[in-house]
Amino acid sequence: MGTINISKKYTAREKAYIPAILIGMKITMKRFIQGFFFRKHDTIMYPEAKRDYSQRFRGMHFISVDKNKTENCTACFLCETICPADCIHIVADERDEDENPYGVKKEKKPISFDIDSLRCCFCGFCEEACPKDAIKLSRNYELAVSSREEAIYDLDHLKRDVKGRG
Amino acid sequence: MSNTEIEIKKPKMDLNYTSNKKPVHSDTGPEAKPLPKVTIDGKTYEFKPGDTIMEVAERYKIHEEIPRYCYHPGMPIAGTCRMCTVEVEKAPKLMTSCSTPAGDGMVVHTKSEKVLKSRTGVMDFLLTNHPLDCPVCDKAGECKLQDYNFEYGPSKSNFKEEKRIYEDATTKKLSDKITLNMNRCVHCERCVRFTDDVTKTNDLVMVNRGWHKELEAADPDKGLTNDYQGCLTDFCPVGALTMNDFRFKKRAWFLEKKASICDRCSKGCNIEVHSDSDIVYRYVPIHNEMVNGHWMCDEGRVSYNDLMNPLRIVSPLLRHQDSLHSTTLQTVLGELKSQMLSANSVQLVVGTDSTREEAALLKDKFSDSLGKKVDVFFHNGTHGVSTSKDDVKLDHLLRMKDHTANTRGVEETGLAPLSGGQVNADIVVLFRNGRAAVPSMKSDQKVILWGVWTYEEVKALPTQNVLGVIPGHATIEKSGSFKNADGIVQKFHPAITHRGGAVSAHQVVSTLKSLN
Repeated sequence: MGTINISKKYTAREKAYIPAILIGMKITMKRFIQGFFFRKHDTIMYPEAKRDYSQRFRGMHFISVDKNKTENCTACFLCETICPADCIHIVADERDEDENPYGVKKEKKPISFDIDSLRCCFCGFCEEACPKDAIKLSRNYELAVSSREEAIYDLDHLKRDVKGRG
Repeated sequence: MSNTEIEIKKPKMDLNYTSNKKPVHSDTGPEAKPLPKVTIDGKTYEFKPGDTIMEVAERYKIHEEIPRYCYHPGMPIAGTCRMCTVEVEKAPKLMTSCSTPAGDGMVVHTKSEKVLKSRTGVMDFLLTNHPLDCPVCDKAGECKLQDYNFEYGPSKSNFKEEKRIYEDATTKKLSDKITLNMNRCVHCERCVRFTDDVTKTNDLVMVNRGWHKELEAADPDKGLTNDYQGCLTDFCPVGALTMNDFRFKKRAWFLEKKASICDRCSKGCNIEVHSDSDIVYRYVPIHNEMVNGHWMCDEGRVSYNDLMNPLRIVSPLLRHQDSLHSTTLQTVLGELKSQMLSANSVQLVVGTDSTREEAALLKDKFSDSLGKKVDVFFHNGTHGVSTSKDDVKLDHLLRMKDHTANTRGVEETGLAPLSGGQVNADIVVLFRNGRAAVPSMKSDQKVILWGVWTYEEVKALPTQNVLGVIPGHATIEKSGSFKNADGIVQKFHPAITHRGGAVSAHQVVSTLKSLN
């Protein structure tokens, strides 16, 4: 068994480590003075402050609702058809007449509308395919969940008010 | 009675328009007269005198070139939709190909500029009042208005006024099976002609004229009453008539289509099983002039619900103390075999809904595989039918009294009918396919259930002494052949894959033989 010697030969300047420490201290002090006295930051205080993303950013899905909190979705299955990741699962049913107080006849409704966000690739095809502008992608990028079950968005989750809608 | 064998095949054409018209050829011989000839799109075809242009096109499978709404090969000609117009040379104007008889030497153009312009005009008029609610409509994906508009329609509408809306008939239940949306209707009147001439029940009419023309049940209180209402949704070229059973369940383009046979009665209608992920969503008839024509009854059409029943037993069950428990097939068959061998007498009752192959297998091989003499009988029992002699037609179209598919085929294997419909052995094995009735028995009769059973049926048995259940494949899950009431033998192959623990009869018999 041969061995490989990876130890490095240090130069005299490197062996006297004080200059290197001084260079490092100089950078630290420079950033400290910039931030503390002149308020110049390269980072943000994340949960309190948030970055503003592009209007075209594709984040968490939502389903648009009318002023009666009825979803605009008519369960046409076009998003399920176009979805390249097979992450949308819809079950359709007939809507009761009572649910149409404005006289707009929405004949069909989804009784369940699940999006498996772990499969979703955020391509936005569903948004493009939707004839009713019901499913949309918001600018909300906080998609962290604590269990796999939470990552499957159901209809109530998709209809709730999220930041960055529209 | 003919004794022909046919194999069910998935049609290449759209189901609505399939026709079995064959090309004709002139007789050969010194005195034979030559058949008349017609030229369609530059090619010359022979035809039978009396054929219309559409029928000639059907004979030579070129009828896909001619779009149509009102024409249907199973119904009388109406000539109202003007979609099938073709240009005939020397005729002053365009002729409807469905109603114009072909003449000797006639020259027909189906794709000339004049014809295409006419079709665009017809589509423009049909779409003036069409609501374009394709996202909600069940017909989307198999809709002729969509298909023909894509091919011939104008790219934009010239209609500026408000669309006509039938307020009362937007979602109108014509019966408990059919829902009408009059806004989508293109007034082809296929449905009216169907009830007039095919079912002869006259229960649909068009009321009012022109702009206000509306489809209504002839007796609005009773609604639709015939037994073939499902066919209305098959041939309706748009989504005006939809079946409540299928309504909003699945979009048409997700469905996988395989040919099979309806096992609801002894007619043996050819069907197409529409399924997605091995879940059946509907049955649709396939055109077969020898058996069912273009049609199918409602009872058969919704019979898939029996197979998709969540209470169907799909794993082998064995009695332990007072209840049935799910276990492996080997355990169930081993235990049942030892019980059958120790019993004084064993009877096997084969339902007449099993295939010819299964009946022959059980007759010849079951005693051998068990190692004991077993008396094998067949039993029908549906609607009081015991043999094929009791079978009668219920109406002038398709429905039969015998509600099992293969009574004649099982009789042919040489099995004897169960005398008096009464079993009398220590242990009785009941083999059925989910359709045949249960024979009458004593209240403490020991039975072994084999085939397609549901928990409801097991609970409703006269006896609760069920030793075990061996689940079997249903008709659309296996291959085999049926002999129908008219003596026609029809072969079929699996339309869906069984995802449960059911096994074929052949596998059960061979496992029984291998067990000690």
